[in-house]
Amino acid sequence: MSAGATALIAVRDLTKTYAMQGSAVQALRGVSLDIERGEFVAVVGPSGSGKSTFMHILGCLDRPTSGRYVLDGRDVSDLGDDELSAIRNRQIGFVFQGFNLLARTSAVENVELPLLYAHDRRVSASERRTRALRALAAVGLEDRAEHHPNQLSGGQQQRVAIARALLNDPAILLADEPTGNLDSRTSIEVMDIFQRLRDERGITIVLITHEPQVAEYGSRIIRFRDGQIVADERNVSRRASEEIRIVAANGASR
Amino acid sequence: MMRPSLAIALRSLRRNRLQTGLTVLGMTIGVAAVLAMIAIGTGAESAIEDQIRAAGMNLIIVTAGNYKVKSTDDFGGGAVEPSAALRLLDWFMPPLLAHPEDDPMEKHDHPTARQRLGDSEAGLGSAATLTSADADAIRRLPGVQYVAEGLHQNVHVKAGEKRWFTRLHGADVRLPLIRRAWVFTRGRFFNEREQRRADQVMVLGTIAVEHLYGNADPVGRDVIMWNQTFRIVGVVDTTSTLVAPAPGDDQFDAVYVPFKTVHSLLNLTKLNDITITAASTGDVSRVMTDVTKLLRQRHGIGDEKPDDFTVTTQARQALARGGLRPDVARAVVGNVGGLEKVTLEQLGRTLDRATRTMTALLAGIAAVSLIVGGIGIMNIMLLSVTERTREIGIRRAVGARARDVRAQFVAEALTLSVSGGFIGVALGVVASMTLGRYLRWSTTFSPGAVLLAVGVAAAVGIFFGWYPAKQAAAVDPIQSLRYE
Repeated sequence: MSAGATALIAVRDLTKTYAMQGSAVQALRGVSLDIERGEFVAVVGPSGSGKSTFMHILGCLDRPTSGRYVLDGRDVSDLGDDELSAIRNRQIGFVFQGFNLLARTSAVENVELPLLYAHDRRVSASERRTRALRALAAVGLEDRAEHHPNQLSGGQQQRVAIARALLNDPAILLADEPTGNLDSRTSIEVMDIFQRLRDERGITIVLITHEPQVAEYGSRIIRFRDGQIVADERNVSRRASEEIRIVAANGASR
Repeated sequence: MMRPSLAIALRSLRRNRLQTGLTVLGMTIGVAAVLAMIAIGTGAESAIEDQIRAAGMNLIIVTAGNYKVKSTDDFGGGAVEPSAALRLLDWFMPPLLAHPEDDPMEKHDHPTARQRLGDSEAGLGSAATLTSADADAIRRLPGVQYVAEGLHQNVHVKAGEKRWFTRLHGADVRLPLIRRAWVFTRGRFFNEREQRRADQVMVLGTIAVEHLYGNADPVGRDVIMWNQTFRIVGVVDTTSTLVAPAPGDDQFDAVYVPFKTVHSLLNLTKLNDITITAASTGDVSRVMTDVTKLLRQRHGIGDEKPDDFTVTTQARQALARGGLRPDVARAVVGNVGGLEKVTLEQLGRTLDRATRTMTALLAGIAAVSLIVGGIGIMNIMLLSVTERTREIGIRRAVGARARDVRAQFVAEALTLSVSGGFIGVALGVVASMTLGRYLRWSTTFSPGAVLLAVGVAAAVGIFFGWYPAKQAAAVDPIQSLRYE
């Protein structure tokens, strides 16, 4: 515990075992890791390497079979559903590969969603709307507030999802293959948003991907294989903003 | 916690309008059926009550004279119904042969007030012990609703060539208020002014009209009685199915004239009887006692002396005479020891038992239709849980607790059932009013029934929404988010 006392995320000897058709599948086999505030961690590894399971535990959507998970100085390994839900609501924002927006629901209503479950404080409907619109503006979608997901492009949908994840000012943003359904140009835009969030707000980002190029945007790259960490190295981030400038310049010259 | 759940529920229900609409429809039909049943059922109840009241359960009749004093004889001569033989005779009698009563100028030998006491043992109704002043005094007693003076004679009535031997009632304008089942199929009853001026106006019972005019409208025509001309102002019939008009009956084989007209034509001051209604049926016995006390005092009857009048209730008379429909009478009589013991309370209890049986039946129908509606809700909610696992996962990921999800689904089920309930209430009102009009059956809506219907709908929603909501809360967010 001593090493992780100051870390935002500190996990020790995490294991996770699933019972699948009678046989036990070990998804995680003893993972220990510290993540400091403001890091942009890219987690890579082949499918079945346990990186998704790891992220679900980090996101308090799942509980480890054994091991400890200390989040912001609080041991959350054995908390009940109510407490874990509150942590997800307040401290963690999720961005998924499939966007996971509510269908037939306007962008602004989708973004408001976390505030509906903010049980520790009362938020009036008008304040919800104001904050949701502000979050949409932060991802450049203020003029799409009343659009439904099926009226938005993939990149726009992912930006709505990011706005939703940021609404409660979480300390951690967990992104599970956020660019998996996006073309390369939109992917760069999304990565630019992530990097700006980290630089401007100091948000800690844990990003899961199987694309090496996407992992290059992180400040630290962790490799998973067979439920264990096999590599953990610092990385000099690629700057998405510069690539956008280059693309824009190319587009202009053409 | 309930308010955000409700807001979320409303929002997601709005998203699936068709599904929501169809489910609500199921519940609507259930609640509408329940409400219509209750309305028609209580309508039936009040119809029966009306008819029994129409048969006179709160009626008190004060008759001049006291037949109980003299002997255990039958009724005195005053209240004899025209018999079939008399009618037959009437048929063969040539019209020229005038009846003795046809002469209004005949001197009637009626006693003065001073002579009354000696007259007290005369036959029932024929004694001249009651006056309009007595009736006015009774009007001022507490608990008394309506009071109507009555004078009764058997008369010949002539319309052109046709004659009919029937019953004449010198009546008070308030009589239609007492005879609740009365309906004026043509014209109206005579009014206050006609009564005050002793006008020669007449209202005919349907049976009398049938014999004198057939199907023609008699209103405005003239009719001859006691060699005097009377103008017909109305025809009276009954809405009661318990007492059907028949030849020889006292109400519809009869003609009505203001009692003041009879008084002035025959130079009389007496009344044969006074009909009283108690404001409440439970008060009948007390009012009877008060009326007896009042009349004894007014007539100056000492403690030792018997009454010079008879106070009785229509209930007793109706049962004894068989004025009720045979099956009803049988039910009433069958449920009590003997005819003599019949009291209003016992009658009430009999009615109560019938009502309870009907209510149980209605409750059964209501339960079945609500269960069917509830199963509909459960079905749609279960389907909704499987269709919306992804939505549940998203909500869980952004911080919804398992119980938030459960509350949302319960709130959705509740919204479906309660809105179905409200629409059902509206539909039920319309349906039962239409049915009521078609079946000529009165329907009653109490706020209680409406509240009950909506409340039960809500209970059904919670009961049948609980299991699907539990399923929704148990959805694994990781699995549901993985769906593509």
